[in-house]
Amino acid sequence: MKRYLETGNFGVAQAAVMAGCRVFCGYPITPATEIAEAMSGLLPRVGGFYVQTEDETAAMHMAIGAALGGMKAMTATSGPGFILYADPYGWAIGCEIPLVVLNSQRVGPVSGITGAPGQGEFYLSRYVTQGGNFETIVLAPNSAQEAFFLTIEAFYLSERFRTPVTVLADQLITDGWEDLSIPETDEEKQAMGLRFAERKAHPGPQFYPPTDEIDIPPVVLGKDTGALCSDWTPTEEGYDIETVEAQHKHAYRLIYKIRNHRDLITRHESLFLDDDPKIIAVAFGTPSRVVKTAVKKARAQGKKIGMIRPISLWPFPDELFKRNATYLSVELNYDGQMVREIQRAAPRESSVHFFGKCGELPTVAELSQIFDDLLQGKPPRRRGWETEAW
Amino acid sequence: MDYLATEYLRSRKIPSTACSGCGLGQCHKALVKAIDGVGLTVSDIVWGTSIGCAGRQTFATWKGDSFAGTHGRVYAIARGLRLALPPEKRIVLTVGDGDAFGIGFNHLLHAVRTNAQMTIMVCDNLGYQSTGGQFGWTTPPGVVTDSSPYGMFEPNWVQPERDVLRILKEAGATFLARHVSMDGASLVESLTKALQNNGLSLVHVVYPCTTNFGKNALGTRKPVEIFNWIKRHAAPLGKEKEETIWRTGIYHDASNSRPEFSTLMRRKVDEIRGRYS
Repeated sequence: MKRYLETGNFGVAQAAVMAGCRVFCGYPITPATEIAEAMSGLLPRVGGFYVQTEDETAAMHMAIGAALGGMKAMTATSGPGFILYADPYGWAIGCEIPLVVLNSQRVGPVSGITGAPGQGEFYLSRYVTQGGNFETIVLAPNSAQEAFFLTIEAFYLSERFRTPVTVLADQLITDGWEDLSIPETDEEKQAMGLRFAERKAHPGPQFYPPTDEIDIPPVVLGKDTGALCSDWTPTEEGYDIETVEAQHKHAYRLIYKIRNHRDLITRHESLFLDDDPKIIAVAFGTPSRVVKTAVKKARAQGKKIGMIRPISLWPFPDELFKRNATYLSVELNYDGQMVREIQRAAPRESSVHFFGKCGELPTVAELSQIFDDLLQGKPPRRRGWETEAW
Repeated sequence: MDYLATEYLRSRKIPSTACSGCGLGQCHKALVKAIDGVGLTVSDIVWGTSIGCAGRQTFATWKGDSFAGTHGRVYAIARGLRLALPPEKRIVLTVGDGDAFGIGFNHLLHAVRTNAQMTIMVCDNLGYQSTGGQFGWTTPPGVVTDSSPYGMFEPNWVQPERDVLRILKEAGATFLARHVSMDGASLVESLTKALQNNGLSLVHVVYPCTTNFGKNALGTRKPVEIFNWIKRHAAPLGKEKEETIWRTGIYHDASNSRPEFSTLMRRKVDEIRGRYS
């Protein structure tokens, strides 16, 4: 095990190379640029390629091209680039191309604040392209160490599910300096729970079976399999077809290969849920660290407060919200995004509240105040321009 | 075509779903003839297409591995694919004029800049015909389309002072040619040379659309009249007349004069690897 004081960007690049990524295509953007820079240094030393592209659209398309040729590929960006991935992301979902996409969220809308953390792409990471009829896999780290772990996991899941996987980070994770352990031996990798999947190639001719099966090798071009892939609705062999029945079969596969195997994806962290806490604070990514501190502090004061941190965001872990409780969603946005999913997933008798900040983390004092208010049955206090509605 | 069709094309895609009288078949046939002439087999080529008439009608016609990319992005996909494919595999792309010279122009320029091996045939039916007949970036001046009801008055990409092939030459393309689909042997000859270049080759081929362009611009859907109109407005380079819109022939042949993108990348990666191993 090698220990570093390093950034999440460094951890992501190390993980990608360890997972077998040999092509990185990217367009510089704060706060994900350092991943590109790190890959430009690391990849040639292991026989891989770094390509700086003309724009984000090209970055993801080019990564898809490399993946289609049989290489493990990755791209990384921030919100303004991630929205440009909508076009190729759809292609990769439809053609079932394994790929890893990292989005380090900053403050929006649009270019917003480049050097501060945000969580404005919670929904965008779910509805990442046009047309619907798909599910996505999104993993959200809350530290440099977890960014390392989840990048490797993203490569693993992308191969098994034949789909692009998003690692949804934020500026504090990718830019922040932290203690980071990188395993060196197989034993260390195993002890850390790292999982790896080899790239395989589908032999054809049924490249797009209308089933929910996973572990089907992806389409790889150049292997003389007669492989076909396109952005149109495919027949099982990959031909372009315009029938509702074929679209139904394809959509079924894209949705249920993920939904029906969600146990392989779902992971979360929870705290103090054993004694039916009255309040459950929910957060993902960096703010979850402050929330954790605030919850621990409240517990030390004898207050029955628990916490859930979804690590896999999509498919949304509805099963974590079965308890009848008062939920508080703490997010780095002002509009409230995850809160709506909690509201949908929680029992009807539950009450669901939202506390949003953006560009800066909530403080333990702010959260403690909200916990006290909620314990007294009062909604969270709002600053002048805030409302509870979302 | 029988031998070529049996050898290179998927039987279930013949006949194609192109409109009656469409000139795309001429383009397609010329390219397959050139591939055969060069001695390439089905397994030597990965065939890519895009959206629109040219993309959709040529997708999955090739018997071997094929893909269709999103509109205009196929050059970026092909560059990525180029890195992953063995160097001896060839990439052939059949795309439309809107794809190459409009939505995909930036990606095309960067594919050209890096000289990534791909043989691109731009099948140009002079506008956006599969969406109903809007003007495009090579629609001739004055022509009426569904989106230029007062005649096409914007400058286009084939006028001598802004010929798109000159732009691509300056960007570093190593083989460039232009033809109309009735050119026959000379079109096959240009495509043959394009295939023999280990770099980016682009052959721009104008072909007739009987459904929309003919009807809107020429007031006829008769293939013969549209074919003749296109032929009348084409002339070999150096033999242009006043009515010439398309100057045909080989514009630029610097085949195999620059390192190919993936070859350069591999060489550099090997060098760096050697330095640090």
